[in-house]
Amino acid sequence: MDIRERRWLYVLIAVFLIFNVLTLSPLVPWQKWLLWSDPTPDQRVSIEMQDYEIRLPAEGIEIGADEYVEFTVTSGDVTYGFGVFRPDGTMVFQMQVVPGYENRILWKFDAPGTYDVRSTEYSGPRHPEMFIEDAIRVTS
Amino acid sequence: MTQIGWMEKWTLRFVVIALIFLAMAGFEGVLMRTELFSQPTFEAIESVVKTVRPGSVEHTTAEQFYGMLTAHPIVGIYGFVYMAIMGAFYFLVPHLLGKEIRHKKLVPINFALQIIGVMTSWLSCFFGTFNSLYTLYWPLPVSYDRVPLVASIFFIAGAAVIMVNVLLFSYNLFSTVLRQSNPRSYSFGQFLRAAFGISRLMKWLGKEDKDAPNLDYNGLPVFIVAVGRGSIDTVINAIVILTAGVLILVYALAALFKAPLDPTVVDALIYKNWFWWGLDMVADGNVLMYTSGVWYLLIPILTGRKLFGESVVKTVIMVDLLVSMGVWSHHLMGEQAQPLFMRIFSGQFITWGEFFTMGLTIFASLMTIWLARPVKLTPPLKFILGSIFGFIIGGATGLIQANVGLNLVTHNTQWVPGPHFHVLLLIGVGMLIAAVIYALIPMMTKIEIKTPWLVNLHFWAWLGGGVIMAYGMGMAGAKGMLRRTLYEGTQYQPYMAVAMVGGILLAIGFLAFLINVVTTLGLMNVIGLFLPERWLNRRAEATAA
Repeated sequence: MDIRERRWLYVLIAVFLIFNVLTLSPLVPWQKWLLWSDPTPDQRVSIEMQDYEIRLPAEGIEIGADEYVEFTVTSGDVTYGFGVFRPDGTMVFQMQVVPGYENRILWKFDAPGTYDVRSTEYSGPRHPEMFIEDAIRVTS
Repeated sequence: MTQIGWMEKWTLRFVVIALIFLAMAGFEGVLMRTELFSQPTFEAIESVVKTVRPGSVEHTTAEQFYGMLTAHPIVGIYGFVYMAIMGAFYFLVPHLLGKEIRHKKLVPINFALQIIGVMTSWLSCFFGTFNSLYTLYWPLPVSYDRVPLVASIFFIAGAAVIMVNVLLFSYNLFSTVLRQSNPRSYSFGQFLRAAFGISRLMKWLGKEDKDAPNLDYNGLPVFIVAVGRGSIDTVINAIVILTAGVLILVYALAALFKAPLDPTVVDALIYKNWFWWGLDMVADGNVLMYTSGVWYLLIPILTGRKLFGESVVKTVIMVDLLVSMGVWSHHLMGEQAQPLFMRIFSGQFITWGEFFTMGLTIFASLMTIWLARPVKLTPPLKFILGSIFGFIIGGATGLIQANVGLNLVTHNTQWVPGPHFHVLLLIGVGMLIAAVIYALIPMMTKIEIKTPWLVNLHFWAWLGGGVIMAYGMGMAGAKGMLRRTLYEGTQYQPYMAVAMVGGILLAIGFLAFLINVVTTLGLMNVIGLFLPERWLNRRAEATAA
């Protein structure tokens, strides 16, 4: 290998290490609880999806800010997505909802307010209908 | 146009049809952009399409949109890209090896079957509104309350024709490369062992097989090594997609004969792993190897300098092949049900293998150009540089979403199709294919590209359009706009307007390219490519008389 090629390879290795160390580290806030600790959820929420419908718990979803909540989302037919969005439309997080599995994700909301839920995976032509405004209420 | 040979003529036919498919994919793209920008405008266009749509079933706007979204990548990848690859490789492989293609009869068969397969799938989506998307996530393609049954059968039949045809094409390539009169001949088994570096590994372990061929050092041109290794992925891709197609077809036929099967017997996550493993052999497999091979071939020819680090790049192609076998989990980052180890190891770390292979490939390519200074910035070289730019940007954005942390906020947003794969496909692959066409036309026909300013218009409009479109989609994605979702309201309209401007520029670039190619070859010569030889001979005789 030519010396110039070797130097370039070192640059690539450095970029690989820096990027991966940074993004796997707790500098990315949710990596703290998704990768580096296994906190016990303060609250558990079960959601079902079927026939283009997102079925939330009858009592609604109210969560305390800075508390750990575990969402368990199941599908009764096809693959959906479970996405939580701020009122301005930006995404907080999302996961795929694979039928036949209990799809779980642990989250900690850092800001009080209301959040929308939308299916983030295409599930058929009526997929855009799968949107619930103010589905989650986070209290301070 | 001077008299051109049999193979050259077929290559030009493949190129012309590839460009027609690119125009079709672009047309669909413009329609979908219009829909995302302004639904009433789309509905006005759709009312025209409705007049030619067969049958009396009224389709909703969403069904039409998602039907197009399903057809769009089939036409773009298997219509435009594969047709162009088939045409170019059928000329270049025998040309570089100094021998004829092994099975000449397969060339017109490949040409016809690819068109039949793509058009069948396209018709089933565009007019039949089959709308399961190219991802075919189980059990959506067999959920007949959501996708039309008959159209799904046609879609799968078309896809099966494409895949069988791709296997025939790959067989013809392998057969041509491996048969006698190479620097040496290989059996297919020997070739596979060499392609995966097993003979090298055995040597390293002290169990050297002295008769084993070594693809990297036995004198094969680096382009042929890339085509050979890349075609292994092409074959795996075709076989996996065929298996998924057969599964869907069995369910469809059972439903058609009123004996529906239970979709829950197929595990949706295992299916998704299998499907993405095979599908990714294109997205993260042969595309990278074929692209590297073309850069390695054209850059030395265009600059008049030997490729920098040739032995290293052959090894890099081998690593690319190995990486492509284990990279698929980056498409399953959003699945919390997918084991975390798979998401981090296969999804994130192995994906970074492509950063190394493409990083070294791009370095070797740019070093070759740099060391060859002063170089003349010919049309193909200009487009190769554009293609390298596309792979840098599209690759970097891909690494951001193939990250177990960042994927939580990028998965299925407009970020994925915008700055990632449309940049890779339109700027990276699209400009590469343009470079090959600009290089091959003078090589095959002895005619120089006619209008230089149209080349420049093509270059800047295409590059600028691709970047602007990616910017609009990327910004929308960062603001939470999902892909594969029709929004009511005007929340993301400004970003979609920007993306639409990009799309219009791309269309201008394409038109400049098309006009230049057609006027260079001559309109009658282009039409003549598709007329029977006896007609042309009769016409020539009449003209002479």
